[in-house]
Amino acid sequence: MTSREKILASIASNKPTLVTLPNVPIFEGDGSIERFKTVLEGIGGTAVELTTKAECQEAIDKYYHDLVNVASDIVKANVAVNLDTTKEILEQVDLAVIQGEIGVAENGTVWVPESNMLNRALPFITQHLVLVLDKNNIVANMQQAYDKLEDIGNYGVFIAGPSKTADIEQSLVIGAHGARSMMVLIY
Amino acid sequence: MNHPDHPELAEAFNKDFERTTWHDETLWFVRQKRDKAVYPVPEFQDLRTLASEIKDHTLSNLDNYLIEFEENATKNGVKVHWAADATEHNQIVMEIIKNSCKVEGRNARLVKSKSMLTEECHLNGFLEKNNIDVVDTDLGERIVQFRNEPPSHIVLPAIHLKKEDVGETFHKHLGTTKGEKDPQILTEAARQHLRGKFVAADVALTGINFAIAETGSFVVCTNEGNADLGVNLAKVHIACMGIEKIIPKLHHLSVYTRLLARSATGQPVTTYTSHFTKPVEGKEMHIVIVDNGRTQQLGREDFRSSLKCIRCGACMNTCPVYRRSGGHSYDFTVPGPIGAILSPNIDLHKHKSLPFASTLCGSCSDVCPVKIDIHVQLYKWRQIVGQANELPAAKKWAMKGMAKVLSMPKVYNLSGKLARGALRILPHGLTHNQSMNPWAKARELPDAPKQSFKEWYEENRK
Repeated sequence: MTSREKILASIASNKPTLVTLPNVPIFEGDGSIERFKTVLEGIGGTAVELTTKAECQEAIDKYYHDLVNVASDIVKANVAVNLDTTKEILEQVDLAVIQGEIGVAENGTVWVPESNMLNRALPFITQHLVLVLDKNNIVANMQQAYDKLEDIGNYGVFIAGPSKTADIEQSLVIGAHGARSMMVLIY
Repeated sequence: MNHPDHPELAEAFNKDFERTTWHDETLWFVRQKRDKAVYPVPEFQDLRTLASEIKDHTLSNLDNYLIEFEENATKNGVKVHWAADATEHNQIVMEIIKNSCKVEGRNARLVKSKSMLTEECHLNGFLEKNNIDVVDTDLGERIVQFRNEPPSHIVLPAIHLKKEDVGETFHKHLGTTKGEKDPQILTEAARQHLRGKFVAADVALTGINFAIAETGSFVVCTNEGNADLGVNLAKVHIACMGIEKIIPKLHHLSVYTRLLARSATGQPVTTYTSHFTKPVEGKEMHIVIVDNGRTQQLGREDFRSSLKCIRCGACMNTCPVYRRSGGHSYDFTVPGPIGAILSPNIDLHKHKSLPFASTLCGSCSDVCPVKIDIHVQLYKWRQIVGQANELPAAKKWAMKGMAKVLSMPKVYNLSGKLARGALRILPHGLTHNQSMNPWAKARELPDAPKQSFKEWYEENRK
């Protein structure tokens, strides 16, 4: 008997009689830009409202003019990043500007699917991260987000603010391993 | 074999009064953050009920969901492995590493993000003995790994340490300035050190928070970003999960992602909630599904709901005993109230004192996001410890004596009278003698009244 068979047989003989699966409703809630911004700022991120997506370049020039190595398919970039980019090059990225798909107002998180990342490691290895988000794609809560999402694809991440830790005496430190800052540009 | 029990280890922790007080207050602060994050969610109690019911359903159909999960993960190009126990789990992980990266002239390099399961299996020591370099990348876990200690909390692994301790450890291992204790500077030193490890790693290992049967995907939650950084830079990703991590559908995930971080640290959500379905072309993804005593717990009707745990740690943060005794006093991978109901299933003799490491106040059950009746199970384990004749002699005979006294009203009345008299007459040093009356350690008995309530009632009733 393989371990697989052993485990499955043991479950079959030890499990209780079938319990009904409850229906999970899609809860209502406040999905406003204001709430999204307030919550995101509460967890260490920043949110900037733009009139059109075309203003992204202007915003990047304004807030990140001191950063040298930029990877993006939305604004001007000087580091070309794709699936084959080596770790050594990825490590040099100061700023990544990529498209976010869904924003969640209750927790300030943004869904980023693999197809938007240029390379799976980019949103994490970059020193600073900017996500670009259509204001019509902000929902109230996680139920609404997964409902809108439908398919999670091969890999995707909800990102809520910059990387952080409080492992030393519960003192919050921003910039643990991932991005040291995270901004959402909402158009 | 005799193991130090919880009271002995707790006593050792309590020797440092200031540190114990700090530990107590800090965890209570985390509990208060939890409340602040929970109260603004109007449907929070509905979510707890749903989370509990979805897990009840899943456990009652667990074999079929695991088969469905395996089928879908395999279709996604992920290799699924099954391990009956810790030994087999460790063996499987080692073989994946040895087969996947043929490195010449050096050890294979593994970076790990947090996985309590691999702690439970004692994976690190096993791999190191087999010439694999293991680096824990969660900051708290890296700190305790440097110190050669187990984590003392499942979410806050280094909560038993002060910044001065971390400063000392980093001075020794990372060359930070002696006496440096600023968390910002120490974290930056760890970031620089671990970036090198991430880039150099051959294999990355993660735990699994939720595994979705419907899609064969799994979800990993971190704040630091260490799981994603590790697996997206390495060639091979190994993810290890207990059989109980399954949920049926993607739609159910939202219930848990709304509960987990709010209950754990009082954040609205973890910084990264990562969904892994397929590996990148040319890379490998493995899932190791582990039993290690879980199917046995599934068969224990009174205790099976302990398998619903999503490892948020809320029961630890709220527990008056955990806060004042520290995670190491439990001497089990998962400490605190949830550990005290999981551990007797693994080794009743070794962990017999843990169900007693509780006041049965019920606060753990109140904050549990999946509504496990933790305090009821603590009480039930006590009965089993008693039946197995595993109670310490003093407690056993005291209980037997009390049972006799309480069953005979005349003896009860007489003993009450004698005790009240004795308490008034005998010197404090004798009634509060700590070797004869351990209850009186740091506690004062109330002044004994002249008469019992029963006597008073008989005199005063009209």
